[in-house]
Amino acid sequence: MTLDERTKPAPQSGRPAGSSTATAKRILPLPVTGQEFVLIGVLIVLWILLGIFTPAFLTPNSIQPLLVSVAPIALIGVGMTFIIITAGIDVSVGGAIMLCAVIVAKTMVSVDIPLIGAVALAIVVGLVLGVVNGVLIAYGRVAAIIITFGTANIFQFLALRVFGSSTVNGIPSTLEVFGRGEAGRTLGVPNSFAIMIVIAAVAWWYLRHASGGRHLFAIGGNANAARLVGIKVQPRLLVAYALTGALVGLGACFILASGTATLDQSVGSGKELQVIAAVVIGGTSILGGRGSVIGTVLGAILVQTVTSGVTQLGWPSQLANLFVGIFIIIAVGTDLLRERARRKA
Amino acid sequence: MTLVNETTHIQVPKNPKKPGGRSLPSRGLEALLTNRVVLLAVLIVVVLVVMTILDSAGQLSGAYNADYLASSLISAVPLAMLGMAQLLVILSGKGGIDLSVGSIVSLTGILFGLAYGPGGWDFVPALILAVVAGGVFGAINGVLIAYIGFPPLIATLATYYAYRSLALVISNQKPVSSESIQNFYSAAQSVEIPVIGATIPLIPLGIFTFLIPTVIVVWVVLNKTTFGRRLYAIGTNDVAAEWSGINVRPNRMAVYAISGVIAGLVSVVTVAQFASARPDAGTSGNGMALPAITIAVLGGVAITGGIGRVSGIVLATLLIVWLNAGILLALPGNDGSQFQLLALGLVLVFASLLNGLTKRKYGGI
Repeated sequence: MTLDERTKPAPQSGRPAGSSTATAKRILPLPVTGQEFVLIGVLIVLWILLGIFTPAFLTPNSIQPLLVSVAPIALIGVGMTFIIITAGIDVSVGGAIMLCAVIVAKTMVSVDIPLIGAVALAIVVGLVLGVVNGVLIAYGRVAAIIITFGTANIFQFLALRVFGSSTVNGIPSTLEVFGRGEAGRTLGVPNSFAIMIVIAAVAWWYLRHASGGRHLFAIGGNANAARLVGIKVQPRLLVAYALTGALVGLGACFILASGTATLDQSVGSGKELQVIAAVVIGGTSILGGRGSVIGTVLGAILVQTVTSGVTQLGWPSQLANLFVGIFIIIAVGTDLLRERARRKA
Repeated sequence: MTLVNETTHIQVPKNPKKPGGRSLPSRGLEALLTNRVVLLAVLIVVVLVVMTILDSAGQLSGAYNADYLASSLISAVPLAMLGMAQLLVILSGKGGIDLSVGSIVSLTGILFGLAYGPGGWDFVPALILAVVAGGVFGAINGVLIAYIGFPPLIATLATYYAYRSLALVISNQKPVSSESIQNFYSAAQSVEIPVIGATIPLIPLGIFTFLIPTVIVVWVVLNKTTFGRRLYAIGTNDVAAEWSGINVRPNRMAVYAISGVIAGLVSVVTVAQFASARPDAGTSGNGMALPAITIAVLGGVAITGGIGRVSGIVLATLLIVWLNAGILLALPGNDGSQFQLLALGLVLVFASLLNGLTKRKYGGI
C-alpha cells in the first residue's frame, strides 16, 4: 500500500476536483467532520457545566471510571460503525457479549487460564458469532436487522445454557489489567480506554485510506453499483460482521474486568442499543455510505458522560436514558438539517 | 436492495404461465412457499400433532389439550396486537419499524394505573387516557419520521429510551397498584362464552374485549378503506404514490400514531394481567417490541414495505404461542423459557431465509 500518496491531506476546498494539478489527488473529506466538531463542543460544554455544578466530576476518581465504562461501548461501536456504513445493522451484540462473557468467566473459574488465553478465547468466540451473522447476511441475502434479531435470541439461549445457574461466582482477577482498579491504569489512563483508542485509530485510517475501507462506503451508498465496479460485496460484508464479532469478544473482556467477581445474567442486556446510540450520535448515517469512527468514540463518551453526570447531580439515574433519547434526536436532527441544506446549496 | 436481486437473477424469468400443466406436489410446494398463510397453517398443525403425540407418549408434564391451548391464548393478546402495530408500521415502507412500542406500553400503563388507581378515575375515562396518550407518543414518532425525515429505526430508538425513562421516573420505579387495579384482574380471567360456552374450553376475556376487535378494525382499515390501500401504495413506492396524488406524509405519520394507540390498548391489558401497572411492563427482558417484530416477519410482512396481511400475523401468533406452550410442558422450569428463546430465534432466521428463497425462486412472496 503506497501510504505517502494516499495519506496526503485533501486539497483545500474551493478548488474543483482534478483541475490544474497534473497529479490527480484524491478528494477526501476533512479528517474531522462537522458533526464531530459539534460533538466536541457539546462535550466541552457538558464537562464544564458538570464541573461547575458537581465539583467532584472533573477529578480522576470520576473521569477514570467514566473512561473505563466508555471503552467497551466505543470498541464495539467501531465494529458497528463498519456495519452501519455498509447500510447494515447488528442488534445481536448484546447476546454475543453475554455469550463471550459467560464462556470466558466459566473457563477462568474452572481452569487456571492466563490473561492472553482468556482474551484469545473471547475474541475467537466473538469472531465465530460474527461470522455466523456475516454469512447469513452476506450470502443468505436477508435483511440484517431481522437476522440479527434472530441470532440475538439464539446467542442468549446458548449463553443461558452455559450459565447453568443464575450467576457465575468467584471469577479470578486475571483480567484486572482492563479493570477499574490500580492495575487497570497506565500513567493514570485506563488500559482498556487506551487499547480502544489505538484500535479506533487503526480503524479510522483503514476506513479513510485503505481501499477495503472505501469499498465499505461504496457498498453502503449503493450495493449494486459497488458490485458493478468490481467490488466483492459479499466478502466485504462478511469481514465487517466478523470484525464486530471479534471486537465484541474483546469488549466482553473489558466488561468482565470492570465488574465484580460475580457475573449475572443481565450482562450485555441493552448493550446493542447503547452501541447503536453511540454510533448514530456520532454522525454515522443509518442509511449507509457515510460515517466515522471518531464520531462513534465521541458519541460513546457523550452517552456515558450523561449517564454518570445524572447520577452525580443526584437526579434519578433512570433520567439518563431520557437524555440519551434526546441527544439521539438532536444529533441526528442537526445532521438531517445540514444534509438538507447541502442538497439545496 | 431489491435491485441487487433483480440483476443477479435476471436469467430466471420463471413465471409459470400454466399452473395446470404441472404436477400436484410441485404446485403444493409453490403454495407452501409463496403463500405464508398456507405455510403457517401447516406448521401449526405440525406443532399440534407433534405435541399431542408427545403428550400421549407421556413426555409432557401436563396435558396438552384444548383447555391448555385456550388458556395459553392470554399471552397471544399483547403479542398479536403489537404484531398488528408492527404490520402497519413496516407496511408503510422506507425502513418502517417501531422499537418504542414496549416503552409506550410501560409509560401509558403507568398513566392508566395512576388515573384508575390512586386517581380514582372510572374505567372508561382511564382507558381513553391510555389510548390518547399512546396515540400522542406514537404521533411524536410519526412527526419525527414523516415530517422531519428521521430514519424510523433511529427515531423509535430515541423514543424507546425517552419513554422508558419517563415511565420509570414518573412511577418512581415502583409498580402502581390499588384495590381497583387488583379487582381489574378479573378482566384477564378466562370466561365461558354464552350459549355455546359449555361445549368449548374457557377462553381468556382479553381475546374478546381487546384482540378480536383490534384484528377486525385493522383488517377493515387495511382492506376496505382508501387509507389502507394508500398505505400499500406508499409502502411499495412512496415516490410513485406521491406522484399519483397521495399525500404521503400525513398517511405515514398516522401509521405511527395508530401503532401508539394499539400500544396504549395493550398497556391496559397488561395492567389487568399483572394486577398492577409495572414501569417495566413492556421493556423488561427482551421487551415487547422484538417479539412483535418477530411475529410480523414470521407472518410474511416484507421488511421493505408494501407486503403483509392481517391473517399472517394472527397465524404467526398462534404458532408461536402454542409452540411456546408446548415447550413449557416438555421442558419445565428454566429450561423451558430458555428453549423458547432458541425456538423464537431459529423460527425468525428460517422465516427470513425462506422469504429470500421464495423471492428468488418465485419472484415475490
